[in-house]
Amino acid sequence: MSKKKKLIPSDSVVETVTENEDALFRFAKKTDAVESEKIIAPRYSYWKSVFRVFFRKKINIVMIVLMILVALIAFIMPIFWEYDPMENVTNSQTFSLSPKAAMEYFGGFSFKYLLGTGSMGNSILYGIVSSSRTSLSLAFICAAINMTIGIIIGAVWGYSKKVDAIMLVIYQIIANIPGILLVSVLVYIVGSGFWSLVFALTITGWLGIAYFFRNQVMVIRDREYSLASRCLGTPITRMVSKNILPFLTSVIVTLLASELPAYISSEVFLSYLGIGLSAQVPSLGRMIQQGQPAFLNYPWAFWPPVFVAALITIILYVLGQNLADASDPRTHML
Amino acid sequence: MKKYLAKRILFALFSLVVVVMIVMLLVYSLINKNVIFQTDDVWNKKSSNDRTIYEYTQYKKYGYVEYEDYTSYIKDKYTAVYGEDYYIQKDYLDDKKAIQDETTFKENVSVQEFVKKYQGEGYKIIYLPPVRYKSGKIKPGGNGYLIATYEKSVFSRLWDYAKGFITIETKNQVEDPNLTDRYIRFEKDPYSGAFALVGSGTQHKYLIYFDSRFPFMHWNWIHINLGTSYTTYRGQEITTVINSPTGKVIASKQQYPAMIGTDEYVETAIDFHSVTYNPADLSENEAKLFTDKYTVYTMKREGLSMIETSFVIGIIATILAYVLGLPLGISMARHKDGIADKVGNMYIIFIMAVPSLAYIFIFAAIGTTLFNLPYKFANAEVKMLAYVLPTISLMLPQIGSLMKWMRRYMIDQMNSDYVKFARAEGLSEKEIYKKHISKNAMIFLVHNIPSSIIFCLTGAIITERVYSVPGVGNLLTTAINQHDNGIIVACTVFYTFLEIIAIIAGDLLLAKFDPRISLSSEGGGGR
Repeated sequence: MSKKKKLIPSDSVVETVTENEDALFRFAKKTDAVESEKIIAPRYSYWKSVFRVFFRKKINIVMIVLMILVALIAFIMPIFWEYDPMENVTNSQTFSLSPKAAMEYFGGFSFKYLLGTGSMGNSILYGIVSSSRTSLSLAFICAAINMTIGIIIGAVWGYSKKVDAIMLVIYQIIANIPGILLVSVLVYIVGSGFWSLVFALTITGWLGIAYFFRNQVMVIRDREYSLASRCLGTPITRMVSKNILPFLTSVIVTLLASELPAYISSEVFLSYLGIGLSAQVPSLGRMIQQGQPAFLNYPWAFWPPVFVAALITIILYVLGQNLADASDPRTHML
Repeated sequence: MKKYLAKRILFALFSLVVVVMIVMLLVYSLINKNVIFQTDDVWNKKSSNDRTIYEYTQYKKYGYVEYEDYTSYIKDKYTAVYGEDYYIQKDYLDDKKAIQDETTFKENVSVQEFVKKYQGEGYKIIYLPPVRYKSGKIKPGGNGYLIATYEKSVFSRLWDYAKGFITIETKNQVEDPNLTDRYIRFEKDPYSGAFALVGSGTQHKYLIYFDSRFPFMHWNWIHINLGTSYTTYRGQEITTVINSPTGKVIASKQQYPAMIGTDEYVETAIDFHSVTYNPADLSENEAKLFTDKYTVYTMKREGLSMIETSFVIGIIATILAYVLGLPLGISMARHKDGIADKVGNMYIIFIMAVPSLAYIFIFAAIGTTLFNLPYKFANAEVKMLAYVLPTISLMLPQIGSLMKWMRRYMIDQMNSDYVKFARAEGLSEKEIYKKHISKNAMIFLVHNIPSSIIFCLTGAIITERVYSVPGVGNLLTTAINQHDNGIIVACTVFYTFLEIIAIIAGDLLLAKFDPRISLSSEGGGGR
């Protein structure tokens, strides 16, 4: 009871309850006309509830800490640890050394050779740190571009019937092409490099997101409250931004949760095949590819990048899924 | 329904053409055409003018340019006058020598004719003067050349490609005035005992035939030409590359066509079903063995072709994935929040989140170290074992996604009204599953089956690269590394075509199994 009272904001009503408790009927205190029109409801903040639900799970706190740690290492450490894959390329004695042998060879303990050297004498640890930065920035840039374009176009696409007719044809044509074919041919044409990979992943990547979004928008477009708004003459832009998009926050987060790890996977996949990034850009896929020929004999050059790639994607995936769950208002009830 | 299907297929073909057009336009206009020589040994060995000429002949071969050479022009010219002995005639030799002198070549009549003829047709005339030492002697490879060439537009290339895409052999396929007996008819095939469609005047002798090799019925009648490989399989047709068997030849007791009817047998590996027409006259030896001019053959080999290898691995993986993934997903749903569900969920997260490369290597390491399975396909001592790891690697992600969807679906269904109603009616859980839920689940499953099968061919890129499987999944990525534009275009056609088939087949199956869905929009079909 006390809890409920706290949630009621208007003082006037609280007073009437406490004043005359025995009476079966009572007259409401005369309040002004404007005040009496207000509907009293518990105070509800969407984002506060999202975070309340999100942090209720302990695993999320662990994951967030891990994520921050990984991001800090990936973005700050490369400033101090400059990675040069070719630095020992002329000295074949440094190739494929175990951590112990590498430290002996380079004189005493150093962070640089904590994980040994790769097949070109490159430092594995420095390589992984720089590569993680590449992977993370690629994933976030691609996700930002694709999600923005996808959501905007998807919203218009779901709303306007004229746009729908044109976009469906485009979608049906593009959807016939296998994704890997599209990306690899585009990278082949544009040339390899960080920004051309971004280009290849974003030029049609938004289309799937937009299509998914269109379907969601279409469902909400025909709900009664939207019909009512339309009858009242609300302009389309306002309908989209106020009636429809807020409803889709959890959908957006769910999408983001699956997109981010997917971009990292594609980067690893493509650079493993030698298609995505150029040789100068440090990348996890390339490190895996270089470590692969002897992965049973020289495990230290191979497993660390595999492990890091798996770690980053799992963190992102679990965080995203749980955030998506938390952002669904249906989970907010106690 | 038929109308819908026709519309759908037409649109699919239209999108195929659009996609191929865009890719060809991009590949042939944006990629520098000389990348095809990066790995070419012949090009490396040639120098100076010879190299330039070699480039032009290759460009012509791969359809980049139209190209005519002065030497072959005068050869044709004097063959018409003197016949076979043109090359000892003085006129010919004088004309041939003329272009080796950069100061006087323009005065030669044949040169003037050549220039006039091809300039009139819109060609660009290029004269490569001989490259000499200071002494005046011509350097090796430095002979002078006179050529006419022009760059083909992408659209004319596209048209050429479309024209040559499908060939249906007719009895007038072979241009040979001496061949008068032309037919296509069913005959008894002496090699298999069954009937075969045999042609005379066609390129292949056996147009449709049966034998003991998978898929048992073979077509030579309709030939699809996806294009020519530029660098990876120099100059070979891609359809041939992916379809021809590999491995050691297998010899068996067989009869040459001339021996049929006698009891003479020879130990040979020739595949007599593969014979094609040879326009040249039969040699003495051939005349003893063959009864007609179909004398060009390939060998029988023990291994599978590239497309068969991929398909075998893919089909087994898909079947296993369904056999394992469905019961696992169902049991996860039935015991929701139990231990099996939790372990299963962890597996699903692992498969969904982790890059495929990572888990494939993890399973490869487990397989090779613990179970001593062969890692590289070619190194396997027992051929069957080589298929194990690639199949498992291809199966893992499929199992993951099947488990995920099946679990989701089952949980949704178990809470749905019709199941509650069935339970209220007193049906046992077993009956509910058998008669109600599983039927609905089938609908979702059949929709995905065609895509899963197609995915075997196009999605096996990583597995085939990791285990060095000689399959088609690797074709595209190798082609990109090798700058093989021919294969890239071919793969675009091939993959897009397969994808289209998968999508349409999936929708048709869905409409077949789900009475609520009607594909034709008019007539108020469906309920």
